[in-house]
Amino acid sequence: MRIPFYVALVVAIAVGGGGASVWFALNAIDGLDTLTVGAWTAYPESGTPQVDPYGRARIARDGELPLGRAEGLYFLAERDSSGQALRRQCRYRLEGGVPVARFWTLYATDRTGHAAPRPQPPAAGLHSRQVLRRADNSFDIAVGRAPEPGNWLAVTGTGDMVMVLTLYDTPVANGADARDIALPAIYRTGCDA
Amino acid sequence: MLRLVYVILSGLIGAAIVHIAILLLLPAYAERDAWSRLEQAGAPNSFVRLPETASATRGARAPDPFMAAGACRFDISESGVRVLAPEKPLFWSVSVYNRWGHNIYSLNDRTASNGLLDLVVVSPDQMIDLRKDLPENLEGAVIVEVEEDIGIVVVRVFRPDASFAPLVDGFFDTARCEPI
Repeated sequence: MRIPFYVALVVAIAVGGGGASVWFALNAIDGLDTLTVGAWTAYPESGTPQVDPYGRARIARDGELPLGRAEGLYFLAERDSSGQALRRQCRYRLEGGVPVARFWTLYATDRTGHAAPRPQPPAAGLHSRQVLRRADNSFDIAVGRAPEPGNWLAVTGTGDMVMVLTLYDTPVANGADARDIALPAIYRTGCDA
Repeated sequence: MLRLVYVILSGLIGAAIVHIAILLLLPAYAERDAWSRLEQAGAPNSFVRLPETASATRGARAPDPFMAAGACRFDISESGVRVLAPEKPLFWSVSVYNRWGHNIYSLNDRTASNGLLDLVVVSPDQMIDLRKDLPENLEGAVIVEVEEDIGIVVVRVFRPDASFAPLVDGFFDTARCEPI
């Protein structure tokens, strides 16, 4: 009498739990082989035939065509340097430099795909050819909804965000060691209520 | 009570098996992967501009707003395919992907001879023929050998701001993807 109930329960836990855990994992991570530098994470193996099963499944699901090694490498930041999640209603300061690359781009997006599909001007992003630098080639970028002097990466809306820093034509894409790479630190300078 | 613990444990083991099964089968059954989208967008051996918005799945991110990309789905079962662009934008890079969206070859304008895009994708058999007698018009082209007959070539171009849009459009209008 109770056996069918138990069997149904086992199947429900297996199918439900298995499906939900894959869905959750693919939304949360881009892959297992990561290159982590401070607040930034890159997936150098992403899109190569050596990619891990999670990266492989995510590429297929999102229909992505990841950058090749001669093209560049992107770094994602979901948290600031103190470990708090990045939010659109907060202001941040990016400070530091980037490794050698022909050029780099920086923009803010999110993982929902539909909430902020494409950054619109003036929120499109920043790239290395328009950034003001200090004498030692490092830079300071203000991130927030309100305009700021100097370099300003405009964001709009509320909610979580992901910052994407892409280095194009960079030796970092060809298996660099995380200890040799310096990327900007992300400091939170304040939040709007 | 013991039976309930037993049921939950077997359920969790089942969940792990289902997790691995879905993960490994997902690429084979994905209906909206890069290849399927390009299949809907155009015929093989022709250039299509890639959309500049994120796909609507959760977890997808918007693509780089400063890059414009075009893709050409190729089928080299009969003859190789040549990707050619007569114009020189600020920066271009090209990647060859297999049917599963895995990058098998990439290069950029610094690694190409005279900075122009001229890429030939051939199968191993066609490569042997080309080695025997390289046609004169293929001199200077980058020749890439791929194992599978079908795949995707993606060309990406840097567009620092909107004023570069005509240049980028001109690049993709004159770029060709044709059988050799």
